[in-house]
Amino acid sequence: MSNEKYYVPHGTYWPIIGSIGISTLFIGFANQMHDVSWGWPVMVLGFAITAFMMFGWLGTVVTESVSGMYNSQVDRSFRWGMSWFIFSEVMFFAAFFGALLYARVLSVPWLGGEYNNIYTPQLWEGFKASWPLLTTPGDVGQNGVAFSTNFKLVNTWGLPALNTGLLLTSGVTLTYAHHALRAGHRDALMAWMLATIALGVVFLGFQITEYGHAYHDGLKLTSGIYGSTFYLLTGFHGFHVTIGVIMLTVILYRIQKGHFNLENHFAFEGVAWYWHFVDVVWLGLFIFVYWI
Amino acid sequence: MSLFVIAILVIIFFFLGSAVIGLLKGGKAGSDKMFKALRVRIILSVFLFIFLLVASQFGWIEPNNFNLLPTQ
Repeated sequence: MSNEKYYVPHGTYWPIIGSIGISTLFIGFANQMHDVSWGWPVMVLGFAITAFMMFGWLGTVVTESVSGMYNSQVDRSFRWGMSWFIFSEVMFFAAFFGALLYARVLSVPWLGGEYNNIYTPQLWEGFKASWPLLTTPGDVGQNGVAFSTNFKLVNTWGLPALNTGLLLTSGVTLTYAHHALRAGHRDALMAWMLATIALGVVFLGFQITEYGHAYHDGLKLTSGIYGSTFYLLTGFHGFHVTIGVIMLTVILYRIQKGHFNLENHFAFEGVAWYWHFVDVVWLGLFIFVYWI
Repeated sequence: MSLFVIAILVIIFFFLGSAVIGLLKGGKAGSDKMFKALRVRIILSVFLFIFLLVASQFGWIEPNNFNLLPTQ
């Protein structure tokens, strides 16, 4: 800690580059959704600008940190920032879990006439209020869409359980890495970090395989409220695992560079918490989608 | 049995929350608190997964059978 004066950040161009990158990304995405020909390239350009900004901005922060420019006040700011980010992440996933449970427990039974609501076969002929609801009622009868009636059961102890085991094992290896960092065992720390990253990558590989099977079998994002909530929950979770793997890799690089010591390793702690959170979200998914 | 599973999940979230408090606090005390909380959370998570495995083998709990795929 170089001094305890109030920290005033220097002028930087990264925020405006970030704004340009994110705006370009969303303009491209929105137009791609409307099948505009230049949507994809603009979206990719926006992603590249955003990635460039993150690499540059976070790189600047790391350089400033290791050169001793930050004092205890900056440390508190980082901790508060991470805590608010964590809060937003918890709320983000709470909304999707809430949507899944609301649809399953309340809205679909209501459509079937429970709790004195309207009996929907009067609105949609052939409608059956069952879970999972794989057809959006309003689509039935249009373009040859019919209510799904034939299902096959997914083996809970197949890929879903294997992926749960993989992520939980990565939580164990990360805990050993955390212990090694606190004990000053650098080689063990790097080995456990590598194991954690490898498990995360294998998880993502299996997740892509599972998506391939599900899509091949006809479970799509458009497969009613079940398809929507299933892919939103598991898709955003997979996105978070991808981000987690990238962040763990950056942390491994920084460990190799000797950026952390027994007292000062906030970046490791932040990423470690994030990975534990992603792990718990998956455990929640495994339990609420397959068991309860 | 479902209530037991949910209760363990709630406790896991409690320890995850406790780890955030440690992260926010910082310093040696905060770092210790965070590490211990995360260690308990992973132990409980592995226990819950193994419990589900054993419980389903003994028929104490069964998958909800909601995880269906349409057959074409």
